[in-house]
Amino acid sequence: MVTQRIDHKWGMVVDLDRCTGCQACVVACQAENNIPINTKEYFQQRRAYEWIRIERYWEGEFPNVKAKFIPILCQHCENAPCEPVCPVFATYHNDEGLNVQVYNRCVGTRYCSVNCPYTVRFFNYWEPQWPDRLRNQLNPDVTVRSRGIMEKCSFCVQRLRRGEVNVERRGLDTLTGQSIPVAERKLNHRQMKEGNYLPSCVQACPTSALQFADQHDETGPVKSYFDEANGHIETREAGGHVNEEETRVYRLFEEVGTKPNLIYLKKVEPFPVEKA
Amino acid sequence: MMPSGKMLPVMLAGGIVTVILGFVLVVLLISWFSNPPFGLGNAPAQPVAFPHTVHVAQNNIQCEFCHRNVTKGEAATVPALETCLFCHKDIDGSTETAKVEIEKVRTAFDTNEPINWERVHRLPDHVRFIHEAHLRYFTDEDILVKYGINGEEITQTPDVAQTCTICHGDVANKTEVQPKTGQSLKMGTCLDCHRANSVPTDCTVCHK
Repeated sequence: MVTQRIDHKWGMVVDLDRCTGCQACVVACQAENNIPINTKEYFQQRRAYEWIRIERYWEGEFPNVKAKFIPILCQHCENAPCEPVCPVFATYHNDEGLNVQVYNRCVGTRYCSVNCPYTVRFFNYWEPQWPDRLRNQLNPDVTVRSRGIMEKCSFCVQRLRRGEVNVERRGLDTLTGQSIPVAERKLNHRQMKEGNYLPSCVQACPTSALQFADQHDETGPVKSYFDEANGHIETREAGGHVNEEETRVYRLFEEVGTKPNLIYLKKVEPFPVEKA
Repeated sequence: MMPSGKMLPVMLAGGIVTVILGFVLVVLLISWFSNPPFGLGNAPAQPVAFPHTVHVAQNNIQCEFCHRNVTKGEAATVPALETCLFCHKDIDGSTETAKVEIEKVRTAFDTNEPINWERVHRLPDHVRFIHEAHLRYFTDEDILVKYGINGEEITQTPDVAQTCTICHGDVANKTEVQPKTGQSLKMGTCLDCHRANSVPTDCTVCHK
Protein backbone atom coordinates (compact mmCIF):
# COMPACT_ATOMS: atom_id res chain seq x y z
CA MET A 1 0.00 0.00 0.00
CA VAL A 2 2.05 2.89 1.18
CA THR A 3 5.14 0.91 0.27
CA GLN A 4 4.51 1.62 -3.39
CA ARG A 5 5.12 5.27 -2.94
CA ILE A 6 5.61 7.20 -6.10
CA ASP A 7 9.13 8.47 -6.21
CA HIS A 8 9.05 12.21 -5.76
CA LYS A 9 11.73 14.81 -6.00
CA TRP A 10 10.32 18.17 -5.13
CA GLY A 11 11.83 21.32 -6.49
CA MET A 12 11.11 24.95 -7.07
CA VAL A 13 11.67 27.34 -9.93
CA VAL A 14 12.09 31.02 -9.09
CA ASP A 15 11.51 33.28 -12.06
CA LEU A 16 13.30 36.51 -11.19
CA ASP A 17 11.74 38.24 -14.18
CA ARG A 18 8.37 37.91 -12.52
CA CYS A 19 9.38 38.73 -8.95
CA THR A 20 8.22 42.20 -7.96
CA GLY A 21 9.61 42.04 -4.44
CA CYS A 22 6.17 42.34 -2.87
CA GLN A 23 7.07 40.12 0.12
CA ALA A 24 3.79 38.20 -0.01
CA CYS A 25 5.80 34.96 0.21
CA VAL A 26 7.55 36.21 3.33
CA VAL A 27 4.27 36.99 5.06
CA ALA A 28 2.68 33.73 3.96
CA CYS A 29 5.63 31.74 5.26
CA GLN A 30 5.64 33.61 8.54
CA ALA A 31 1.97 32.82 9.08
CA GLU A 32 2.08 29.21 7.91
CA ASN A 33 5.11 28.02 9.82
CA ASN A 34 4.63 29.58 13.27
CA ILE A 35 7.69 31.76 12.87
CA PRO A 36 8.20 34.12 15.79
CA ILE A 37 7.58 37.80 15.19
CA ASN A 38 10.78 39.56 14.20
CA THR A 39 11.34 42.73 16.15
CA LYS A 40 13.73 45.55 15.44
CA GLU A 41 16.13 44.16 18.03
CA TYR A 42 16.14 40.78 16.33
CA PHE A 43 17.24 42.39 13.08
CA GLN A 44 19.85 44.57 14.77
CA GLN A 45 21.34 41.50 16.41
CA ARG A 46 21.08 39.66 13.07
CA ARG A 47 19.03 36.97 14.71
CA ALA A 48 15.82 37.46 12.74
CA TYR A 49 13.94 34.40 11.50
CA GLU A 50 13.19 34.51 7.79
CA TRP A 51 12.68 31.12 6.22
CA ILE A 52 12.22 32.97 2.96
CA ARG A 53 13.61 36.44 2.45
CA ILE A 54 13.70 38.90 -0.42
CA GLU A 55 17.14 40.33 -1.04
CA ARG A 56 17.17 43.65 -2.82
CA TYR A 57 19.98 44.94 -4.98
CA TRP A 58 20.30 48.34 -6.60
CA GLU A 59 21.87 48.53 -10.01
CA GLY A 60 23.14 51.58 -11.88
CA GLU A 61 23.63 55.22 -11.02
CA PHE A 62 20.87 57.74 -10.44
CA PRO A 63 18.69 58.44 -12.43
CA ASN A 64 19.17 55.11 -14.21
CA VAL A 65 18.54 52.96 -11.14
CA LYS A 66 16.93 49.57 -11.10
CA ALA A 67 15.97 47.44 -8.15
CA LYS A 68 16.53 43.71 -8.40
CA PHE A 69 14.87 41.26 -6.09
CA ILE A 70 15.80 37.71 -5.35
CA PRO A 71 13.82 35.47 -2.99
CA ILE A 72 16.12 33.21 -1.01
CA LEU A 73 14.96 30.18 0.92
CA CYS A 74 16.43 26.82 1.82
CA GLN A 75 17.79 25.42 -1.43
CA HIS A 76 17.18 21.78 -0.41
CA CYS A 77 20.59 20.87 -1.81
CA GLU A 78 21.32 17.39 -3.05
CA ASN A 79 24.83 17.65 -1.59
CA ALA A 80 23.75 19.64 1.41
CA PRO A 81 26.67 21.03 3.39
CA CYS A 82 24.52 21.22 6.51
CA GLU A 83 23.87 17.49 6.67
CA PRO A 84 27.26 15.87 7.28
CA VAL A 85 28.21 18.29 10.05
CA CYS A 86 25.24 17.53 12.28
CA PRO A 87 26.46 15.40 15.19
CA VAL A 88 22.99 14.04 16.01
CA PHE A 89 21.64 13.43 12.49
CA ALA A 90 18.93 16.02 13.01
CA THR A 91 19.10 17.15 9.42
CA TYR A 92 19.05 14.67 6.61
CA HIS A 93 17.78 14.11 3.10
CA ASN A 94 14.61 12.11 2.74
CA ASP A 95 13.48 10.08 -0.24
CA GLU A 96 11.29 12.89 -1.54
CA GLY A 97 14.23 15.19 -2.15
CA LEU A 98 13.57 17.31 0.90
CA ASN A 99 16.24 18.47 3.26
CA VAL A 100 14.53 17.73 6.55
CA GLN A 101 15.16 19.29 9.92
CA VAL A 102 14.03 17.08 12.80
CA TYR A 103 13.36 19.48 15.65
CA ASN A 104 13.19 16.94 18.44
CA ARG A 105 16.59 15.55 17.54
CA CYS A 106 18.32 18.91 17.29
CA VAL A 107 20.62 19.80 20.18
CA GLY A 108 21.54 23.24 18.89
CA THR A 109 25.20 22.97 17.98
CA ARG A 110 24.64 25.43 15.08
CA TYR A 111 27.27 23.73 12.92
CA CYS A 112 24.73 23.44 10.13
CA SER A 113 24.00 27.15 10.01
CA VAL A 114 27.72 27.87 9.94
CA ASN A 115 28.19 25.49 7.06
CA CYS A 116 25.22 26.70 5.01
CA PRO A 117 26.43 28.92 2.15
CA TYR A 118 22.96 30.43 1.71
CA THR A 119 22.45 31.43 5.38
CA VAL A 120 18.92 30.08 5.44
CA ARG A 121 19.10 28.30 8.76
CA PHE A 122 17.92 30.10 11.87
CA PHE A 123 18.64 29.41 15.47
CA ASN A 124 16.11 30.00 18.22
CA TYR A 125 18.03 32.19 20.61
CA TRP A 126 14.87 32.82 22.61
CA GLU A 127 11.72 31.01 23.56
CA PRO A 128 9.28 32.17 20.85
CA GLN A 129 6.55 34.45 22.09
CA TRP A 130 3.41 35.78 20.55
CA PRO A 131 0.93 38.33 21.81
CA ASP A 132 -2.07 36.62 23.38
CA ARG A 133 -4.39 37.61 20.57
CA LEU A 134 -2.11 35.89 18.05
CA ARG A 135 -1.73 32.61 19.88
CA ASN A 136 -4.88 31.18 18.37
CA GLN A 137 -3.62 31.74 14.83
CA LEU A 138 -0.71 29.32 15.28
CA ASN A 139 -0.76 26.51 12.77
CA PRO A 140 -1.53 23.24 14.60
CA ASP A 141 0.25 21.27 11.86
CA VAL A 142 3.61 22.85 12.64
CA THR A 143 5.59 22.50 15.84
CA VAL A 144 6.40 25.62 17.79
CA ARG A 145 10.16 25.39 18.00
CA SER A 146 11.48 26.00 21.46
CA ARG A 147 14.65 27.76 22.44
CA GLY A 148 17.94 26.20 21.37
CA ILE A 149 16.72 24.58 18.16
CA MET A 150 17.72 25.18 14.57
CA GLU A 151 14.93 25.72 12.09
CA LYS A 152 14.60 26.31 8.38
CA CYS A 153 12.30 26.07 5.38
CA SER A 154 10.71 22.63 5.14
CA PHE A 155 9.03 23.13 1.75
CA CYS A 156 5.87 23.10 3.91
CA VAL A 157 6.08 19.37 4.50
CA GLN A 158 2.98 19.59 6.68
CA ARG A 159 1.05 20.62 3.57
CA LEU A 160 2.45 17.60 1.76
CA ARG A 161 1.12 15.31 4.47
CA ARG A 162 -2.19 17.14 4.54
CA GLY A 163 -2.40 16.82 0.77
CA GLU A 164 -1.72 13.10 0.98
CA VAL A 165 -4.55 12.70 3.46
CA ASN A 166 -6.87 14.67 1.25
CA VAL A 167 -5.99 12.80 -1.92
CA GLU A 168 -5.72 9.27 -0.59
CA ARG A 169 -8.27 9.10 2.12
CA ARG A 170 -10.91 11.71 1.60
CA GLY A 171 -10.67 11.74 -2.16
CA LEU A 172 -10.54 15.51 -2.31
CA ASP A 173 -8.30 17.60 -4.43
CA THR A 174 -6.73 20.04 -1.98
CA LEU A 175 -6.80 23.08 -4.17
CA THR A 176 -10.00 22.67 -6.15
CA GLY A 177 -11.91 20.79 -3.44
CA GLN A 178 -13.34 18.47 -6.06
CA SER A 179 -13.88 14.79 -5.54
CA ILE A 180 -11.36 12.33 -6.97
CA PRO A 181 -12.73 9.10 -8.51
CA VAL A 182 -12.61 6.19 -6.07
CA ALA A 183 -10.28 4.13 -8.26
CA GLU A 184 -7.62 6.84 -8.11
CA ARG A 185 -7.73 7.26 -4.36
CA LYS A 186 -5.62 4.22 -3.54
CA LEU A 187 -2.17 4.98 -2.30
CA ASN A 188 -0.44 3.05 -5.04
CA HIS A 189 -2.32 4.97 -7.72
CA ARG A 190 -2.01 8.25 -6.00
CA GLN A 191 -0.73 11.25 -7.76
CA MET A 192 0.66 13.83 -5.44
CA LYS A 193 1.33 16.56 -7.89
CA GLU A 194 2.25 20.17 -7.52
CA GLY A 195 -1.46 20.95 -7.74
CA ASN A 196 -2.23 18.94 -4.63
CA TYR A 197 0.70 20.24 -2.70
CA LEU A 198 1.92 23.81 -2.73
CA PRO A 199 4.16 25.49 -0.18
CA SER A 200 2.49 28.57 1.22
CA CYS A 201 4.96 30.97 -0.43
CA VAL A 202 4.14 29.53 -3.85
CA GLN A 203 0.44 29.75 -3.20
CA ALA A 204 0.76 33.35 -2.07
CA CYS A 205 2.90 34.57 -4.97
CA PRO A 206 0.70 36.93 -7.01
CA THR A 207 2.87 36.85 -10.12
CA SER A 208 3.67 33.11 -10.06
CA ALA A 209 7.35 33.94 -9.75
CA LEU A 210 7.67 30.91 -7.50
CA GLN A 211 6.66 27.66 -9.11
CA PHE A 212 6.68 24.35 -7.36
CA ALA A 213 6.94 20.99 -9.09
CA ASP A 214 7.87 17.36 -8.87
CA GLN A 215 11.05 16.96 -10.88
CA HIS A 216 10.11 13.36 -11.72
CA ASP A 217 6.77 14.42 -13.14
CA GLU A 218 7.26 14.20 -16.89
CA THR A 219 4.27 16.39 -17.65
CA GLY A 220 5.14 19.05 -15.10
CA PRO A 221 4.97 22.65 -16.27
CA VAL A 222 8.54 23.50 -15.36
CA LYS A 223 10.12 20.18 -16.25
CA SER A 224 12.16 21.76 -19.05
CA TYR A 225 13.86 24.15 -16.64
CA PHE A 226 14.86 21.31 -14.35
CA ASP A 227 16.16 19.34 -17.32
CA GLU A 228 18.19 22.30 -18.46
CA ALA A 229 19.65 22.88 -15.02
CA ASN A 230 20.54 19.21 -14.62
CA GLY A 231 22.11 19.33 -18.06
CA HIS A 232 24.34 22.17 -16.87
CA ILE A 233 25.55 20.11 -13.95
CA GLU A 234 26.36 17.19 -16.22
CA THR A 235 28.19 19.42 -18.66
CA ARG A 236 30.24 20.98 -15.90
CA GLU A 237 31.03 17.62 -14.31
CA ALA A 238 32.22 16.36 -17.69
CA GLY A 239 34.56 19.35 -17.84
CA GLY A 240 32.51 21.20 -20.42
CA HIS A 241 31.56 24.84 -20.52
CA VAL A 242 28.10 26.32 -20.19
CA ASN A 243 27.56 29.56 -22.02
CA GLU A 244 25.68 31.58 -19.45
CA GLU A 245 24.73 34.24 -21.99
CA GLU A 246 22.50 31.76 -23.75
CA THR A 247 20.53 30.38 -20.84
CA ARG A 248 18.32 31.84 -18.15
CA VAL A 249 18.65 28.87 -15.82
CA TYR A 250 21.12 29.02 -12.96
CA ARG A 251 21.47 27.91 -9.37
CA LEU A 252 22.83 29.86 -6.47
CA PHE A 253 26.53 29.24 -5.81
CA GLU A 254 26.64 26.59 -8.47
CA GLU A 255 30.44 26.44 -8.20
CA VAL A 256 30.18 25.21 -4.58
CA GLY A 257 28.70 21.96 -5.87
CA THR A 258 25.73 21.74 -3.51
CA LYS A 259 23.31 20.87 -6.33
CA PRO A 260 20.28 22.79 -5.05
CA ASN A 261 16.76 21.68 -5.90
CA LEU A 262 15.87 25.32 -6.35
CA ILE A 263 16.62 26.86 -9.69
CA TYR A 264 16.51 30.51 -10.61
CA LEU A 265 15.65 32.07 -13.96
CA LYS A 266 17.59 35.19 -14.81
CA LYS A 267 15.87 38.51 -15.17
CA VAL A 268 15.32 39.45 -18.79
CA GLU A 269 16.63 42.94 -19.41
CA PRO A 270 14.99 44.56 -22.44
CA PHE A 271 16.59 47.88 -21.51
CA PRO A 272 19.76 47.10 -19.59
CA VAL A 273 21.18 49.74 -17.30
CA GLU A 274 24.03 51.54 -18.99
CA LYS A 275 27.30 50.79 -17.31
CA ALA A 276 28.95 53.99 -16.21
CA MET B 1 37.89 4.40 62.51
CA MET B 2 38.30 7.89 61.18
CA PRO B 3 39.64 8.11 57.62
CA SER B 4 43.08 9.54 57.30
CA GLY B 5 43.61 13.06 55.93
CA LYS B 6 44.94 11.70 52.66
CA MET B 7 41.80 9.70 51.96
CA LEU B 8 39.35 12.57 52.50
CA PRO B 9 39.58 14.21 49.05
CA VAL B 10 39.27 10.83 47.33
CA MET B 11 36.20 9.96 49.35
CA LEU B 12 34.72 13.38 48.63
CA ALA B 13 35.28 12.97 44.89
CA GLY B 14 33.81 9.47 45.02
CA GLY B 15 30.77 10.76 46.82
CA ILE B 16 30.18 13.54 44.30
CA VAL B 17 30.52 11.16 41.36
CA THR B 18 28.06 8.75 43.00
CA VAL B 19 25.54 11.54 43.58
CA ILE B 20 25.82 12.76 39.96
CA LEU B 21 25.52 9.27 38.46
CA GLY B 22 22.62 8.47 40.76
CA PHE B 23 20.85 11.67 39.76
CA VAL B 24 21.29 10.88 36.04
CA LEU B 25 20.02 7.35 36.59
CA VAL B 26 16.95 8.55 38.49
CA VAL B 27 16.16 11.11 35.78
CA LEU B 28 16.47 8.48 33.05
CA LEU B 29 14.31 6.00 34.95
CA ILE B 30 11.60 8.55 35.65
CA SER B 31 11.53 9.75 32.05
CA TRP B 32 11.32 6.17 30.78
CA PHE B 33 8.49 5.06 33.02
CA SER B 34 6.44 8.25 33.20
CA ASN B 35 3.25 8.95 31.28
CA PRO B 36 3.23 12.55 30.22
CA PRO B 37 1.75 14.72 31.56
CA PHE B 38 0.87 12.72 34.65
CA GLY B 39 4.40 11.78 35.72
CA LEU B 40 4.62 8.35 37.27
CA GLY B 41 1.00 8.40 38.37
CA ASN B 42 -2.21 7.75 36.55
CA ALA B 43 -4.63 10.17 35.01
CA PRO B 44 -6.64 12.22 37.52
CA ALA B 45 -10.28 11.31 38.10
CA GLN B 46 -12.71 12.40 35.41
CA PRO B 47 -15.35 15.00 36.30
CA VAL B 48 -18.00 12.43 35.41
CA ALA B 49 -17.30 8.78 36.17
CA PHE B 50 -17.99 7.44 32.70
CA PRO B 51 -17.96 3.62 32.58
CA HIS B 52 -16.97 2.25 29.18
CA THR B 53 -18.06 -1.16 30.50
CA VAL B 54 -21.74 -0.23 30.60
CA HIS B 55 -21.75 1.62 27.30
CA VAL B 56 -19.57 -0.64 25.18
CA ALA B 57 -19.44 -4.10 26.74
CA GLN B 58 -23.05 -4.28 27.92
CA ASN B 59 -24.90 -2.05 25.48
CA ASN B 60 -22.70 -2.55 22.41
CA ILE B 61 -22.36 1.06 21.40
CA GLN B 62 -19.73 1.40 18.68
CA CYS B 63 -16.61 3.48 19.36
CA GLU B 64 -17.27 5.83 16.47
CA PHE B 65 -20.80 6.59 17.65
CA CYS B 66 -19.41 8.81 20.38
CA HIS B 67 -15.86 9.44 19.15
CA ARG B 68 -17.34 10.63 15.89
CA ASN B 69 -14.30 12.16 14.28
CA VAL B 70 -12.20 9.03 14.56
CA THR B 71 -12.99 7.85 11.04
CA LYS B 72 -13.00 11.35 9.60
CA GLY B 73 -10.05 13.25 10.94
CA GLU B 74 -6.96 13.48 13.05
CA ALA B 75 -8.34 13.55 16.56
CA ALA B 76 -10.87 11.00 17.79
CA THR B 77 -12.62 13.78 19.75
CA VAL B 78 -14.66 13.55 22.91
CA PRO B 79 -18.41 13.66 22.23
CA ALA B 80 -20.43 16.78 22.64
CA LEU B 81 -23.01 16.85 25.44
CA GLU B 82 -25.76 16.57 22.83
CA THR B 83 -24.44 13.13 21.94
CA CYS B 84 -24.76 12.04 25.57
CA LEU B 85 -28.25 13.52 25.84
CA PHE B 86 -29.27 11.66 22.69
CA CYS B 87 -29.77 8.64 24.94
CA HIS B 88 -29.69 10.11 28.40
CA LYS B 89 -32.67 12.36 28.06
CA ASP B 90 -34.61 9.14 28.46
CA ILE B 91 -32.20 6.78 30.22
CA ASP B 92 -31.87 7.52 33.93
CA GLY B 93 -29.46 4.80 34.97
CA SER B 94 -30.08 1.65 36.95
CA THR B 95 -28.07 2.28 40.12
CA GLU B 96 -28.03 5.21 42.51
CA THR B 97 -24.44 6.19 41.62
CA ALA B 98 -25.26 6.07 37.92
CA LYS B 99 -28.24 8.36 38.45
CA VAL B 100 -26.03 10.92 40.18
CA GLU B 101 -23.48 10.88 37.36
CA ILE B 102 -26.11 11.13 34.63
CA GLU B 103 -27.71 14.03 36.47
CA LYS B 104 -24.32 15.82 36.27
CA VAL B 105 -24.41 15.48 32.49
CA ARG B 106 -27.94 16.83 32.26
CA THR B 107 -27.14 19.76 34.53
CA ALA B 108 -24.13 20.59 32.38
CA PHE B 109 -26.32 20.50 29.31
CA ASP B 110 -28.98 22.70 30.89
CA THR B 111 -26.47 25.26 32.12
CA ASN B 112 -24.55 25.28 28.83
CA GLU B 113 -21.30 24.41 30.54
CA PRO B 114 -19.10 21.81 28.88
CA ILE B 115 -17.61 18.99 30.91
CA ASN B 116 -13.85 19.37 31.34
CA TRP B 117 -12.76 15.83 30.61
CA GLU B 118 -9.21 14.94 31.53
CA ARG B 119 -7.22 13.94 28.49
CA VAL B 120 -5.68 10.51 29.04
CA HIS B 121 -3.79 9.67 25.85
CA ARG B 122 -1.56 12.55 25.00
CA LEU B 123 1.11 12.74 22.31
CA PRO B 124 3.85 15.36 22.29
CA ASP B 125 3.35 18.55 20.29
CA HIS B 126 5.81 17.53 17.58
CA VAL B 127 3.96 14.34 16.64
CA ARG B 128 1.31 14.16 13.98
CA PHE B 129 -1.03 11.21 14.45
CA ILE B 130 -4.06 10.82 12.20
CA HIS B 131 -6.63 8.37 13.60
CA GLU B 132 -8.52 8.24 10.32
CA ALA B 133 -5.51 7.08 8.30
CA HIS B 134 -4.75 4.23 10.67
CA LEU B 135 -8.36 3.09 10.83
CA ARG B 136 -8.64 3.23 7.08
CA TYR B 137 -5.57 1.07 6.70
CA PHE B 138 -6.64 -1.61 9.16
CA THR B 139 -10.25 -1.77 8.01
CA ASP B 140 -9.34 -1.91 4.32
CA GLU B 141 -10.44 -5.26 2.96
CA ASP B 142 -8.19 -5.03 -0.09
CA ILE B 143 -5.11 -5.41 2.08
CA LEU B 144 -5.09 -9.10 2.82
CA VAL B 145 -2.45 -9.34 5.52
CA LYS B 146 -1.78 -6.69 8.10
CA TYR B 147 0.47 -6.87 11.12
CA GLY B 148 -0.19 -5.83 14.69
CA ILE B 149 2.22 -3.91 16.85
CA ASN B 150 4.02 -7.05 18.05
CA GLY B 151 4.35 -8.34 14.49
CA GLU B 152 1.44 -10.78 14.72
CA GLU B 153 -0.47 -11.38 11.49
CA ILE B 154 -3.98 -10.01 11.19
CA THR B 155 -5.62 -12.01 8.42
CA GLN B 156 -9.24 -11.20 9.17
CA THR B 157 -10.04 -7.56 8.48
CA PRO B 158 -10.86 -5.98 11.84
CA ASP B 159 -13.75 -3.62 12.33
CA VAL B 160 -13.30 -0.18 13.82
CA ALA B 161 -13.64 -1.32 17.43
CA GLN B 162 -11.08 -4.11 17.01
CA THR B 163 -8.68 -1.66 15.40
CA CYS B 164 -8.99 0.69 18.36
CA THR B 165 -7.96 -2.08 20.75
CA ILE B 166 -4.66 -2.54 18.93
CA CYS B 167 -3.33 0.63 20.55
CA HIS B 168 -5.82 1.52 23.27
CA GLY B 169 -6.25 -1.94 24.76
CA ASP B 170 -9.56 -3.41 25.83
CA VAL B 171 -11.31 -0.16 26.65
CA ALA B 172 -14.69 -1.87 26.51
CA ASN B 173 -14.00 -3.70 29.77
CA LYS B 174 -12.48 -0.80 31.65
CA THR B 175 -14.46 1.29 34.10
CA GLU B 176 -11.69 3.87 34.02
CA VAL B 177 -9.39 4.54 31.08
CA GLN B 178 -5.79 4.99 32.10
CA PRO B 179 -2.63 5.58 30.06
CA LYS B 180 -0.34 2.66 29.23
CA THR B 181 -2.99 0.01 29.76
CA GLY B 182 -2.93 -0.47 26.01
CA GLN B 183 0.29 0.48 24.29
CA SER B 184 2.80 2.82 25.83
CA LEU B 185 2.45 5.15 22.81
CA LYS B 186 6.18 5.74 22.77
CA MET B 187 7.93 6.23 19.45
CA GLY B 188 9.21 2.64 19.57
CA THR B 189 5.68 1.24 19.39
CA CYS B 190 4.89 3.40 16.37
CA LEU B 191 8.07 2.29 14.63
CA ASP B 192 7.53 -1.42 15.40
CA CYS B 193 4.12 -1.31 13.77
CA HIS B 194 5.27 0.83 10.84
CA ARG B 195 8.15 -1.54 10.15
CA ALA B 196 5.96 -4.64 10.44
CA ASN B 197 3.51 -3.21 7.91
CA SER B 198 6.25 -1.83 5.60
CA VAL B 199 4.93 1.69 6.02
CA PRO B 200 7.45 4.52 5.57
CA THR B 201 9.46 5.38 8.64
CA ASP B 202 10.73 8.70 7.37
CA CYS B 203 10.83 11.27 10.19
CA THR B 204 8.52 13.66 8.38
CA VAL B 205 5.76 11.05 8.17
CA CYS B 206 5.00 11.58 11.85
CA HIS B 207 7.09 14.49 13.05
CA LYS B 208 5.99 17.93 12.06
